[in-house]
Parts: sequence; structure tokens; C-alpha cells
Amino acid sequence: MAESAYSSAEDIALVRLAQKGDTDAFEELVARHRDKIFARAFSMMRNEEEAVDLSQEAWVKGWQRLAQFQGDSSFATWITRIVINLCLDELRKQKRRRTESIEELDEESGGVERQMPVVTTNPTERLERGELRQRIDQALAQMSNEHRAVLVLHEFEEMEYKEIAKAMDCSIGTVMSRLFYARRKLASLLADLKQQ
Amino acid sequence: MRYGLFRACLLLLVAAFFLSVAAAPAQSSSRYYSGSSTGTNAVNFEAQLIWGTNDKQSDPKLKPADSKLIGKLQKSPFKWDHYFEMHKEPIKLRLNEEKTITMSRNCVISVTYLKDENIKFQLFGKGKLANTVTQPLPKGRLLITGGDAENSTAWFVVLKQVE
Amino acid sequence: MTEEQQLKLQAFLDGELPESDGREVAAWIARDADATALLGELKNTRNALKGFEPEVKLPESREFHWSKIKREIERTARESAVAPKASLFTWFRRALIPLGAAVALGLVAIIAIHPVPGSHHPIPMTANVMVGDANAFTYRDDTQDMTVVWLSYPTENKFAEKSSADTLPAK
Repeated sequence: MAESAYSSAEDIALVRLAQKGDTDAFEELVARHRDKIFARAFSMMRNEEEAVDLSQEAWVKGWQRLAQFQGDSSFATWITRIVINLCLDELRKQKRRRTESIEELDEESGGVERQMPVVTTNPTERLERGELRQRIDQALAQMSNEHRAVLVLHEFEEMEYKEIAKAMDCSIGTVMSRLFYARRKLASLLADLKQQ
Repeated sequence: MRYGLFRACLLLLVAAFFLSVAAAPAQSSSRYYSGSSTGTNAVNFEAQLIWGTNDKQSDPKLKPADSKLIGKLQKSPFKWDHYFEMHKEPIKLRLNEEKTITMSRNCVISVTYLKDENIKFQLFGKGKLANTVTQPLPKGRLLITGGDAENSTAWFVVLKQVE
Repeated sequence: MTEEQQLKLQAFLDGELPESDGREVAAWIARDADATALLGELKNTRNALKGFEPEVKLPESREFHWSKIKREIERTARESAVAPKASLFTWFRRALIPLGAAVALGLVAIIAIHPVPGSHHPIPMTANVMVGDANAFTYRDDTQDMTVVWLSYPTENKFAEKSSADTLPAK
């Protein structure tokens, strides 16, 4: 297939070609979705180098598992789930290496956020889109890996509680606690940033 | 019949005796290792306690392990990014002599120098015997016992014969 | 407000509650100012995140990124191509392992009883695990001249302390 035909072909057509061994078709898929895959990895890892490596690994795994792609979901969703699983695996490895700080343990046990006063101001009011995006980015960077992961999976990937629980290998209760804490933490961080 | 049974047992006993006598001299005469200390001279060993971690450490008191050892460990399945020497102890042993050394609060080792450059190495963790190894340890060879420590780090006790 | 109530409020917002529970929570929100306020905050936060995922671009050119992926794909494909031969070898090796082990044991027994005069034969290493709950795995590398006995326990074992001061021998 000519290069221009690749660029105008739909994802599913490119997948079918790639499943037969057409690496040019796969390259087109990579080119189309590489930024999104990298962005997802970066949201989870908050480290550019790690996100690049994990994105690359996701694409390689995607190629190896192409035969398993049946078209039940979009190709973008399918490859995104691969990179998410890789990020979660990496976060689990990092967690085992890390000494947990008191704050993180407190986050896990959910001791703090129940006492936090309710934030009544709406962060989307009176903030430019670009500024809000930047502040959300800063706030996400300040969170622990586990809380950020739950937030990313729920808010950006729009996964249900039970899907997140399965992906993160924890209970639905833990997902709910972490999500609650992450949202409350984000609300207070955005409110703090607004006051700066 | 009883007398026949008695004779058979006696014959078996005598045969066993002669077999063991025949085997014993053969076992003791043929074992020779270059550089072995067969006399009463002491042999020097060294035991090191090494900590392996993937986290960068800024504590100036931590001493990196010997680069040769690091190179060997990193070519093995026991790879960590950093290795630190936590404790080192020289051990001088005469033949059949045993010494017990405290490597850390939780780790005690016992080393016995046996003939033909063999050593018996025992490791005690938190007061309990964890492992016993008996093997030759000529110069240049390392005997390492290791295990997981907290936060996905690892400990190693390295024993070697030195000059 | 209990933790359970707070999480129920969140589940209500996310549409994760069964219908009957959802009606109950809606009624509770209508009469409880604190619940209304908390729901408001959670809603604001959710709306703030909608469509505001940080925009980042892959910091590598298309060609460079693809070249790395392609190289890795080719490398793993080469490894898989070698694997079938290895599996045949592995099958062959598996069939010989029990027989080989028996032959080796027999040789050891023979040598132990009737050693050849003047020959060099090391005493085999014996590693005995004395503690019931530990497992020992022995790794021997003759090219590196080392033997590693790796002990693993069901619970954490701390033989090495991070602080060098802790490792000084007890006096």
C-alpha cells in the first residue's frame, strides 16, 4: 500500500494489514497514537524518560499481541490499556523499592481527607483554560503514584471502579477510598494554587 | 539352621570390615589441591556484609563495595544498582579451627577451616541457624549467601580466602 | 459524616450505585447541607478534570521513535525464531535429565568409594537449610568464580541494616 494510502486508511484497516506482518501499516498506527500513549504514560509516571520507555514497550507488546486484537474496542483504547498496565506494573515495582513516608501511609489509610474542610470555590471559574490545565498538572505531580493512577484511570480513561480494581489489583473499596482522597486532595491543591 | 545364620552374619560383618579398611586409605591418599595448607599454618579469610539497593544513597558514611565484587554480582541474577560494604572482618583460621563472627545486629556467621581448602560456613539470622554450606574455597573463589531485605533491597555475606 | 457515607456520595456522583441506593442518597442530599456541599466539591473537581488532561507531546521525532520500536520488534522476533530449536533441545534435555542424574549419582558414589590415586576431585558442596521456613537456592557461576546461596523467607528478613553504625559488631 502506498504511503499516502496508509495515512488515509482507518485504524482497523491498518491493524488488519499489520496483523499480516505489514510493519509500515503499524508504523502509521504508531505515528497516529504515539502522543496519546506517551501522554497517558506521562500522566501516570510523571517522569518523561520512564514514560518514553514505557510507551516504546507498549508499542512492541502491541505488535506482539496484534493477533489478539478483535476490534471489540477501538485500537486507541486497546493500545492505551497496554501502556496503562505497563505503567501500573512499573509503579508496583517502584513502590516495593520505596520507603513509604508517613504521609503516604496516611493517604493509604485515608486518615487525612475525612477531616479536610469542604472546598466551596469552583476552580474552573475565573481561570483561563491554559492556566487551569497547568494547575491541574502541578496538582497531579504532587500526588502519590497510587492516587494519581486512580484519578487518571477514572477521570481520563473513564474506567469503572471494578475495571480499575482489576487493573490495579486491589479491592473496589480501595479504589473508592483512593479516588475520594485524590479528588479531595486535588480540590485543596487547586484552591491553594488559586490563592497564590 | 541357627548356626548357619550366625555364620552368614559373621561373614557379612567381616566383609564389611575389610571393605571399609580397603576404601579408607584410598580416600585419604589421593586428595591434593594446589596451594592447600596441610600443615598447621593459619589461612586468612575475609567476610564482608554487603547491602544491595536500587535507590541512590546520599549518606556519606556508606562505603561502596569493591568494584570487582560489584562486577560479579551484576553479571549474576542478583543485580542491584548499588552495593555498599556495611562491614568487613578478617578471619584467620588454623586447620579445623572454627570462628564465630558478628556481621551485624541480626547476622552472625561461623567459619570452620577444614582440610584441603574446604570450609564449613554457617549463617545465623536473628539467632537462628539459616544455612550451612560446606565446600572448597580456594583463593579467587567467592562464597556468597544472600537474601531479601526490606524495601526490595538485599543483603549478602561474602566469604573469600585472602593472602 | 462517616467514611461510608462519603464514599457512597462519591459513588452516587460516579453513577456506580444501584438504583435503589441512588434514590436513598438523593433523598439524603436533599435534606443534608454538608452532603450537598461535599457533593458540590466532588462535582467541581470532576468537572475541572474533564478535558484537562495535561497536554504533552512525545519528545522524540516520528522516525527516531519508530526506529527504536522496530529494532526491538526485530530483536524479539529473532529470539522467538531461535526458541523452537531451543524447545526441541529442551525436550531432549528433559528426557535425559533423570537418566543423567542417575548416572552422575552413580559416578559420585563410585569415586567416593574408589578414588583414582592422584586425581583432583573436589568434595561436593552441601548446602543444608536448617531453618524450616527458609528456602535456599544455589547459583554457581564458574566463570565468575562464585557460588551464591540465596535464602528466601515467607516474611521479611533484615540481616543488613542501612545505617553503617548499626552494622558494627556487638561489643
